[in-house]
Amino acid sequence: MNLPPVAIAWFGAMILFGVGLYGLLVVRNLIKLVVALQILAKAAMLAFVAAGYAQQQMGLAQSMIALIIVADTVVAVIALALAVQVRRRYGTLDVRQLTALRG
Amino acid sequence: MAALLIALAIALPWAGALAVWVAGDRRPRAQHGLAVFFAAAGGLCGLGLLGVPSSETVIRVPVGGVFGDFTFVPDGLGIFLAAIATVIGSMAVLFSVEYMKGEAQLGRYYAFVLLFIGAMAGLVLTSSLLLLFFFWEITALTSYALISFHNDDPKAVAGGIKALVITQLGGIGLLVGALVAYVNLGSYDIGLFLARSHSLPPQVLTVIAFGFLVAAAAKSAQVPFHTWLPDAMEAPTPVSALIHAATMVNAGVYVLARFSPAFEQVAGWSTAVALVGMVTALLAACMAVVTDDLKRVLAYSTVSQLGYMVFAIGAGSALAGSFHLLSHAVFKALLFLGAGAVIHAIGTRDMRQMGGLGRQMPWVSSMFLVGACALAGIPPMNGFWSKELVLETALGHGAWWGFVALLVGAGLTALYTARMVWSVFFGAPRAHHHAHDAGPAMRIPLVLLAFGTLTTWLLFGPFAHMLAEVLPGVHDESTLAFAVHVMTDPATWLAMGIVAGGLLLWHIRARLAALVGRLSLAAQVAAEGFGFETVNRFVTQAVRSTATALQRTQTGDLSWNAVGIVGALILVLILLAWGGIP
Amino acid sequence: MAELVCVLVAIICAVQAIRAERLLHSALWLAGASAFIAMIFYSMGAREVAIIELSVGAGLVTILFVFAISVAGDEHNVGRLAVPRALAALLAGLCAIGLLWFASGVVSIVPNAPQSTGLTQMLWRDRALDTLVQVALVYTGVIGLLGLLQAGRTEVDVHHTEQSEIQSQHDATPQAERMHG
Repeated sequence: MNLPPVAIAWFGAMILFGVGLYGLLVVRNLIKLVVALQILAKAAMLAFVAAGYAQQQMGLAQSMIALIIVADTVVAVIALALAVQVRRRYGTLDVRQLTALRG
Repeated sequence: MAALLIALAIALPWAGALAVWVAGDRRPRAQHGLAVFFAAAGGLCGLGLLGVPSSETVIRVPVGGVFGDFTFVPDGLGIFLAAIATVIGSMAVLFSVEYMKGEAQLGRYYAFVLLFIGAMAGLVLTSSLLLLFFFWEITALTSYALISFHNDDPKAVAGGIKALVITQLGGIGLLVGALVAYVNLGSYDIGLFLARSHSLPPQVLTVIAFGFLVAAAAKSAQVPFHTWLPDAMEAPTPVSALIHAATMVNAGVYVLARFSPAFEQVAGWSTAVALVGMVTALLAACMAVVTDDLKRVLAYSTVSQLGYMVFAIGAGSALAGSFHLLSHAVFKALLFLGAGAVIHAIGTRDMRQMGGLGRQMPWVSSMFLVGACALAGIPPMNGFWSKELVLETALGHGAWWGFVALLVGAGLTALYTARMVWSVFFGAPRAHHHAHDAGPAMRIPLVLLAFGTLTTWLLFGPFAHMLAEVLPGVHDESTLAFAVHVMTDPATWLAMGIVAGGLLLWHIRARLAALVGRLSLAAQVAAEGFGFETVNRFVTQAVRSTATALQRTQTGDLSWNAVGIVGALILVLILLAWGGIP
Repeated sequence: MAELVCVLVAIICAVQAIRAERLLHSALWLAGASAFIAMIFYSMGAREVAIIELSVGAGLVTILFVFAISVAGDEHNVGRLAVPRALAALLAGLCAIGLLWFASGVVSIVPNAPQSTGLTQMLWRDRALDTLVQVALVYTGVIGLLGLLQAGRTEVDVHHTEQSEIQSQHDATPQAERMHG
């Protein structure tokens, strides 16, 4: 059992990605949805590290990850603020009850 | 020096937009003051740029290896358009102080106007295709936001969305052209593109050329994309003057002029451009004759005059097109601001309810008359000289069909101008209005623009000199030589005869009543926009019914939407596996 | 070996973040996952972003979550799920396996790769546009947040009209049931 770090990081990234996606599909609370999105973003970062490590391009990978961190934090901020507003206006965070777009 | 001026011409209006927003809607006086200050400062920078023309890249912002550098070049074509944008922009802002007095949400209004002025200056000064596209889209956004400024009025909202959708079609054309150029040259630099366009494969150049033509036609309201401009007249009038007459709609003409040296080698491109311009000039003139809304008449006349410019570029003289652009920007801004003063005073845009306003508004009516003379092409206004130059181009480059069509167009222009001036300012009053004449904040821009209308043609010499350094095929000519050669050209006298005929036609309209009656069917077709509106409606209807049909698939449940996204990702992966990409 | 432990712990934290019933627990598990991922970054040589991830991902974002939860209140939504768990697991698994296979070429070690450039040089010279975009992003975030907070401030005035609107829609759309919590 002597896996190289790249493989560990790569498999880890994919499993985290699966966990995040699963969460995105089954979670009913808006704030928890943001948690699932965060896990997805972390999986993407880990994948970048794995690729950067393998290709000896850690500088490029790091600049990409920095961009992801910034974008992801902004997404979290906006999404949480929206969730707070939704809670104030509609009195619930349950996505099953927020179905104004039903056709 | 030039670098500083360019940076200021873009950044000052943008800083002003921020300042107005920070000032807040509770302090309208501060907002008016800040907006005028920043717009005027931007205008001064624009004027200052005229003194430092250069073909060198003066600003170079390195943004890494992928996108090339963001560059700005103050060459003749760019700085004259930047000067128009910033100077007429500051006039429009000054005019707004009185026009928009007491309106709610001034912050939104001024912020978008200032954002537009800066973006327009950037659009014409940049020499990076990518940045050109960015600025292009910012102008489209601000145009949309300002058309729909009165967002409680459904007509304004519909007009804004129409403008946005149609100009976006053009934006796609520009983006496709820019990307194809990038793929083939590995750079977004416009100078490099123009220099190396000969080495591109013909098919590639054709795609770029026609992509840019679609972009220009949509932005400059040319057939078949012209339908958005009349509906854009729901915007506050200073915005119509600035964006929908003097500056943004010229962006298409600018793109055509800038790239015409490269695209002239594309088979059929010049003819297509000339045809689009000619058809637009004629159709729009016909529609202007039968419209009763003062601002819509001006909008159709804008479309028609833009047709003249586009035709000139297609016929091979970017100089004539650009010179007419300059004249038109000045006199059409004057006409729109004059119309704004009238509308502000009496509260309607319907010409059937106007009449006899000349006595109540002597200031506005005399200024408007100056602009109207320029539009009709009566000497010595700037519109006369530039229109003659366009007509001469048509004759000189063997496009006699264009010459004939544009002559008819000039006659129609004289006819609808006479009709417009008469129904607004002369004749018997058709409704009781207590119109007040314009106040000082309105008078200053009107007088300045009227002065410009009378004098800008004197700048022909320096103007031609400036463009000769940018565009191949433009030869330097002094103002005097230009004036002599226009006045000694028989075509000029023919055109003046036609214009006089158009004016005469309006004078004897009572005697032509029978003929007019027989033409009423044609008039109706023209008023309906020659069927283009029907096409628009059909497209809208089709999209809407498709959307309604697809609406049933929406559960409104976020989880199922996420399933859709994940499903699409899986589908993409399967397709990639099929193609065996990795 | 350290990497393996970190990855496993991070995955456990992530699973717990999804499974936790209370939002606050969920946020704390997420912070844990973030911290362990930062450790993997560090041990694999991505030193700079490891620090950023630790301070921003595990620190700032967690504070944001706690703040949002304290404002919006905890709420445990029970009842039937829209998407069956089995279908969700199947789709997520398919995606993960597909991506694993798809990018396996990227992570195979390149023997003679060019020497990597440092992060600062990368950020400021080679990918300067990214840095500009990040500035724009942060600016957008601040503006968006300000707008939302402002909307929150005028909430008192809006709330009444909003409620009456919802009340009137209530009869027309039965699914718009609202929970007063």
